[in-house]
Amino acid sequence: MIEEKIIKKNRLNAMLQELSKEYSIYIPAGENGDFRFCELRDTNDELVFWDYRNTRISPKEILFPHSEILYEFSRDESHQFSISQNNDDQRKMKNVILGIRPCDARAIGFLDRVFIGEPNERFVDPYYLKRRIHTIIISLACNRPQISCFCTSLNGRPDGEEGADIIAFDIGEEILLKTVTEKGKEFIKESSKWLGNVKKSDIDKKNKIFKESAKRINSRVSVEKVKEKLDDSFEADFWNEIHRKCLGCGICTFLCSTCHCFDITDETSADRGKRIKCWDSCMYPLFTLHASGHNPRPNYKERMRQRIMHKFNYCPENFKELFCVGCGRCIRNCPVNLDIREVINQVSQLK
Amino acid sequence: MMKEIETRIKEVVKDLFTQNKIDLFIGYSKGSLPLTSSPCFITKSEDIEKLVWNSFCSNNLAVYLPRIFNPQPRKKEKIELPRIGILAKGCDARSIVVLIKEHQIARDNVFILGIVCQGMGDRKKIRNDIEITGAEEKNGRITIVDENKKEIELKREELLSDCCIECQHATPPIHDILIESGNQRPAAPKGGGRDFEKKSIEDRWNLFQEEISKCIRCYACRQACPNCYCRECFADQTKPRWIGVTDHISDVMFYQIGRIFHQAGRCVDCGACVRACPMGIDLRVFTHKLVRDAKELFDYEAGVFLEEGLLLATFKPEDKQEFISEP
Amino acid sequence: MINPYLPLPVKVQKITIENETKDLKTFDLEFCDKNDAEWFKYTCGQFAELSLLGIGEVPIGIASSPMDNRILQFTVKRYPIGVVSSTLHNLSEGDTIGIRGPFGNGFPMKDFEGSNLAIIGGGFALTTLRSLTKYIIHEKNRSRFGEITIMVAARDPGEMLYKYDLEEWSKREDIKLIRTIDREVDGWTGKVGFAAPVLKEISPSSGNAYAIVCGPPIMIKTCIAVLLELGFKASQIFNSLEMRMKCGIGKCGRCNIGSKYVCKDGPVFSYTQLEKLPQEY
Ligand code: SF4
Ligand code: SF4
Ligand code: SF4
Ligand code: SF4
Ligand code: FES
Repeated sequence: MIEEKIIKKNRLNAMLQELSKEYSIYIPAGENGDFRFCELRDTNDELVFWDYRNTRISPKEILFPHSEILYEFSRDESHQFSISQNNDDQRKMKNVILGIRPCDARAIGFLDRVFIGEPNERFVDPYYLKRRIHTIIISLACNRPQISCFCTSLNGRPDGEEGADIIAFDIGEEILLKTVTEKGKEFIKESSKWLGNVKKSDIDKKNKIFKESAKRINSRVSVEKVKEKLDDSFEADFWNEIHRKCLGCGICTFLCSTCHCFDITDETSADRGKRIKCWDSCMYPLFTLHASGHNPRPNYKERMRQRIMHKFNYCPENFKELFCVGCGRCIRNCPVNLDIREVINQVSQLK
Repeated sequence: MMKEIETRIKEVVKDLFTQNKIDLFIGYSKGSLPLTSSPCFITKSEDIEKLVWNSFCSNNLAVYLPRIFNPQPRKKEKIELPRIGILAKGCDARSIVVLIKEHQIARDNVFILGIVCQGMGDRKKIRNDIEITGAEEKNGRITIVDENKKEIELKREELLSDCCIECQHATPPIHDILIESGNQRPAAPKGGGRDFEKKSIEDRWNLFQEEISKCIRCYACRQACPNCYCRECFADQTKPRWIGVTDHISDVMFYQIGRIFHQAGRCVDCGACVRACPMGIDLRVFTHKLVRDAKELFDYEAGVFLEEGLLLATFKPEDKQEFISEP
Repeated sequence: MINPYLPLPVKVQKITIENETKDLKTFDLEFCDKNDAEWFKYTCGQFAELSLLGIGEVPIGIASSPMDNRILQFTVKRYPIGVVSSTLHNLSEGDTIGIRGPFGNGFPMKDFEGSNLAIIGGGFALTTLRSLTKYIIHEKNRSRFGEITIMVAARDPGEMLYKYDLEEWSKREDIKLIRTIDREVDGWTGKVGFAAPVLKEISPSSGNAYAIVCGPPIMIKTCIAVLLELGFKASQIFNSLEMRMKCGIGKCGRCNIGSKYVCKDGPVFSYTQLEKLPQEY
């Protein structure tokens, strides 16, 4: 049974402050429209992100941070190494992500498939799992999509529920919370003392605002044929042109909510060190460089092809999902305006 | 005015193709978002119509030249170098000069279509919470439309990038053809951007740390910079590894200091790194300090005179030395 | 919770220099903890990440046979730009390093049973083929496989890997071993010539057989052409690929060829599979 509850905006902070004893609470924070997910601070200030559009960096960084220590090691006098896995603060492992946009919530569902989707434990990323398992995702439906948002072309909606445990709707003075998963219901139950029951008028208000929200997105691309077209297009001429203006900067992959490539490197000083997992990008030349000097993707062309193929052909093959949620980050931030919608359109028109 | 320049560009490029003088032209086409233009590669005359000229042709196109002339991985056989036509504002042309001096460009294979630049706009000057859904540029005014169809009219000058406001070299110092832009913008008053210098060393350091703490190590600043053509950047080297890979401030600092200092006497202040940075870091505060130092200590401006040697490769007995001990 | 990123400690028992150039060394490794050996049950054709704390990791095919007790063997080539491989080459016997794995699919041993096998290896790519051969010719297993033809190609005699094994194999009646080098050298008793023409000369029969080819790209290409000519079907030809790898578990995203991850779906692919994948390796 779906449950719907309501809370006054000005009561929310008090509720979160209390919850923050048990959870790390992440909310979009920033100013002048420039937001990033941050841990909630201990203040009585009212939350101000209701009108925010989206964060620059995708909230994937909460579950899959830019760099994280896999383990630390040290060497004793007899040159013997010992490894220590840091014993994380347990509280840090319980998260609430509040205010994530529906597209990004969906993307977390995609990352789940990559990192923890395998039944065989040997193929599960324990670092992602540890955070993810205790994370509650409360998404915030969009009432003001950007012109670069194109979630509706990719099976998403500004009020889509996929990936969220609870979805929140801003209906003015109040926030309407709707449960999506069991986990979400459990959470609502725990916090019940802060929540009120919904009235019919609240639901009407919500429906009025959000029923048509998808229609507010004018940017559309057609992705129906993309996977199929790419099946036979590895050698297509199109790749010789499409990459030309790309700078290979990797912004599109770093900011993307579904991109998940990483590197593992060591850092040492004297007799101690750490092994670190950190973001990497298929747009970088060193990504696939062999120690022998051979590089299977030596140029911008091959690397651009990999990015597009990975999202729109390989992932659909492996995970039955196009790995783009239409958040538009790569469009807004690419320094040369290499627009992924344009790429998708061109692919759709391939013969 | 913009439209006339655009027409003129198309004429020149058409001629270049008809006279078979170039194989490729690099210019700008319409961007997919309001207030953007996008680098555009033209290889056949049918595509010339795609070219545009407006207040947002801001990318430094010189960045593409080194990779065309030194393709990676190195080919064994000698490659036939393409003949390239390129649109160059003042700063693009200065970058070209630097690249010629540093032997990254075959000058004879480049046809420079210079434009006396009126300064380029920066969409980041508009608050991020205004959703720009449309824009139009006319007679030095830019009208933007927000999501509620409200029109906001701005003067072109209000949107100019910081580097353009302070630019002293709107006319390309090197060109094969020059398109004048009529009402020449007077060179900006010298001495901009001194706020940083006025600060105490401690405050400067704090500001530096604060700015770069936002860095996510994407290296877009490097990739967008025409000077950063190194085959293997110090930041990528593994043998030895100079800097750590994390986004921790101590690692970021090494990268930033390294990259910024590699620009000493080379930075043409085009703002490409600042525009590229997805985190909105104002890298120019720091690169511009180098630009001013080069000017004040050695009376040197990068990319202005082709005949002049490179700053860091020339030694003059009268060179100032104070900077060695006095930061 | 299993942590696939965590290396298990192993002791370097022995280091063998394999070639005259001295850029190939074989490392005999033993688990410091016996239980780890239990966990690390592997099959022929799998690989592992050799892990040097503070330096990094390198994926290497397992050269020992699953029948070898306790000892794991890896043959590592030193590359000038390879930090990990150079450091490995500087190790001494008795040092401790880490190992992660085993990774990858390995050879389809069940399919190979009951068939004749043509094992074709060139240069430094002999490692997992050695594991395969040693496994098959083990007294407990030999009867389950048919005729075995092994062809080893190297630039010159000094570069031939596992000379001690080849010597032993050459004495066995139940193996047909052919050794070939690129150019004539005094005192050489084997064949002279590139892998493909020699393969054609010995013409292993394609009836009820599998061919397994590992080696430099050009050799693989030419040998596969010969095999097809000899009547081998694409499904009878197997290949083990090399790629830049990091995680080994299909997550980090750098080892894919098309939608297949070499670390997880490979490194062993049949030619039927390879034909469907893009040429990007
Ligand atoms: S953000 Fe744009 S320029 Fe940078 S790598 Fe992506 S497509 Fe290329
Ligand atoms: S590819 Fe672009 S639009 Fe799609 S999910 Fe990634 S950043 Fe968002
Ligand atoms: S893409 Fe859709 S879900 Fe994402 S922010 Fe835009 S409108 Fe909201
Ligand atoms: S572009 Fe910005 S975020 Fe990226 S590396 Fe440069 S300073 Fe850091
Ligand atoms: S090595 Fe990481 S995905 Fe294969």
